Amino acid sequence: MNKKPSFKAFLTALSLGLSLGVAQAANTDALVTTDWLEANLDRDDLRVIEVSVNPGKYERGHIPGAVNFRWHTDLVDTVSRDIASKEQFQSLLRSAGINEDTEVVLYGDTNNWFAAWGAWVFDIYGVDDVRLLDGGRDKWEAEGKPLAIRPQQYSPGNITVSDADHSIRAFLDEVVEVARSENPATDIVDIRSAAEYEGRIIAPEGVNELSVRAGHIPGAVNVSWGNAVNEDGTFKSPEELRALYAEAGIDGDNPVITYCRIGERSSHTWFALSRILGYEVKNYDGSWTEYGNSVGVPVTNLAGTVWGGQ
Amino acid sequence: MTDQAIVLSLLLGAGFGALLQRSRFCFFCMTRDYLEGRDARGLLGILTALAVGLIGYHAIFGLFLPDPGIGRLPPDAHIGPVSWVLAIAALTFGVGMTLSGSCISAHLYRLGEGAIASVIALIGVLIGFGLGFASWNSLYLAAIQQAPVVWLPQTLGYSGSLVLQLLLLGAVAVILMRGHQPAARQPNASMSFREQIFKHRWPAHVGGLAIGMLAVLAYLRVAPLGVTAELGSIARTLGDEAAMLPERLQGLDGFSGCATAIKETLLSPNGAFILALIVASFISALISGDFRLQPVTGKKALGHFAGGILMGWGAMTALGCTVGTLLSGIMAGAASGWLFAAFCLLGLWGSWRIGKAT
Repeated sequence: MNKKPSFKAFLTALSLGLSLGVAQAANTDALVTTDWLEANLDRDDLRVIEVSVNPGKYERGHIPGAVNFRWHTDLVDTVSRDIASKEQFQSLLRSAGINEDTEVVLYGDTNNWFAAWGAWVFDIYGVDDVRLLDGGRDKWEAEGKPLAIRPQQYSPGNITVSDADHSIRAFLDEVVEVARSENPATDIVDIRSAAEYEGRIIAPEGVNELSVRAGHIPGAVNVSWGNAVNEDGTFKSPEELRALYAEAGIDGDNPVITYCRIGERSSHTWFALSRILGYEVKNYDGSWTEYGNSVGVPVTNLAGTVWGGQ
Repeated sequence: MTDQAIVLSLLLGAGFGALLQRSRFCFFCMTRDYLEGRDARGLLGILTALAVGLIGYHAIFGLFLPDPGIGRLPPDAHIGPVSWVLAIAALTFGVGMTLSGSCISAHLYRLGEGAIASVIALIGVLIGFGLGFASWNSLYLAAIQQAPVVWLPQTLGYSGSLVLQLLLLGAVAVILMRGHQPAARQPNASMSFREQIFKHRWPAHVGGLAIGMLAVLAYLRVAPLGVTAELGSIARTLGDEAAMLPERLQGLDGFSGCATAIKETLLSPNGAFILALIVASFISALISGDFRLQPVTGKKALGHFAGGILMGWGAMTALGCTVGTLLSGIMAGAASGWLFAAFCLLGLWGSWRIGKAT
């Protein structure tokens, strides 16, 4: 029978093909593109979460349907210096309507720094269907994609998170051990600015959290987080990232520790190395504000800054 | 995003400047009109702005923070700590208004009308801000750190807060209307529409309506209305460069209000707002014929300067002035806004009485 395919069937096939194409364009385990996210926004099993550092960003317009996580109260313990507890984190996810089978996409302002911190916390608690919106809020806005101001309420989800997995979180003792060893089997990446790494300054201007000593952890290499992104804020390609870190001696053969000042920008590099390149990486969230204040630990200070002296 | 914030601030600032100029929206003059001539129209204009702003802010709050009772504050809203420091700051600000003949926002729009003496008042404000920074750390430890930050919707809910505050504004309006004695000269009804818009000053309640709406738009898109953040930032940057200020202003950056950061960029959103305000007032005054260069006498200069210093100190320690703390605070349902209004009025009234007596 020579039945002509109907126009409707043609359209269906076309849209299926298009959506497959879109899905493929976002086909990484770590990242989704802005176009993919826009096309998938109405999916019930997808939850978009904004983690921005500046208050008022989410409220004045967010990706439609997105939920707001405030990193300085929702994702950390507000009294002790620690990430959110298991119970706190689980109830946060449930209140955002996240179920066992929900896919999560995180995004935020300032180059996804805090969204990447969020991705790290999700990973610690064993929630693994989590990706970052490549380019973050800035790219979404730059492309003129829609924003909504009406908050979305979801019925509580049923997700159960695992106990904290410390295989992706480094603590001081472990870092000091690497710093002291003559032939360390772990690589350390310092993602702060060159001036901080060299010890010319203790911290960028205007921040309140400081250290008593300047410099870096012995053996650490300096690859500023900004090297990992393109001009539009998207991550460089895996090949480019591999070459960038290999040039600094980080090729994935050894486990890696990333750190910065308070551990949030280093989450961005943790994300690139761990989630995009698949290396074995721990984020040291104590970072320089812990290390540079610790007594008796070795420090490399290239600039020779003498603390407190005139 | 910053670019958008600057463009919006330019537009909002221009709108605010034109409205202040057209409706002579000067907190001091409006209060003096009532004290001296029982003319309540100006103060009723302020109440109109507050009522419109209250309604708009509460509508926005419902979006920004659906449940006001969860212990968070809506982002950026000017809800400040309530302590005796705020009361003294507002009182001082009120005295400063009387001495210099205007509050800070009115000096800004008067500058556009050719009031050169306002420059002297604004220089005083900068110095006052410097004194405020210098005294901040001791005041912070003495009172501000422990002071409660009271946001009415937190305890009353949005409806309760809105109803209570509208009733309060209504009660004040009734008192004012009872005391009001109609001015002998009414605006000429035979004026053409064009003259009414471009020549004659607008009735204060028209200005108030528009300013209330502008305040709501400003909060929705950029930040609450405020005119001292940029002045404060200039003072803080100058003082910092001259090493005259404490290196660390304890807890200051943790409060929402007219934030004063060390300047890093030449044109901040609030800087753009202020510049546009002055330029729009200038254009508006040129069109209406209100522009004239007003000479500065020695006595006037002294009053402006001293009043400016008092207002600067008061605006710094109260985290804003009649715009940032009074207007934007009351609209946001902040107890700090109401307290500022009460003590500012008290300072103004007291100093006006003393001024009359001498």
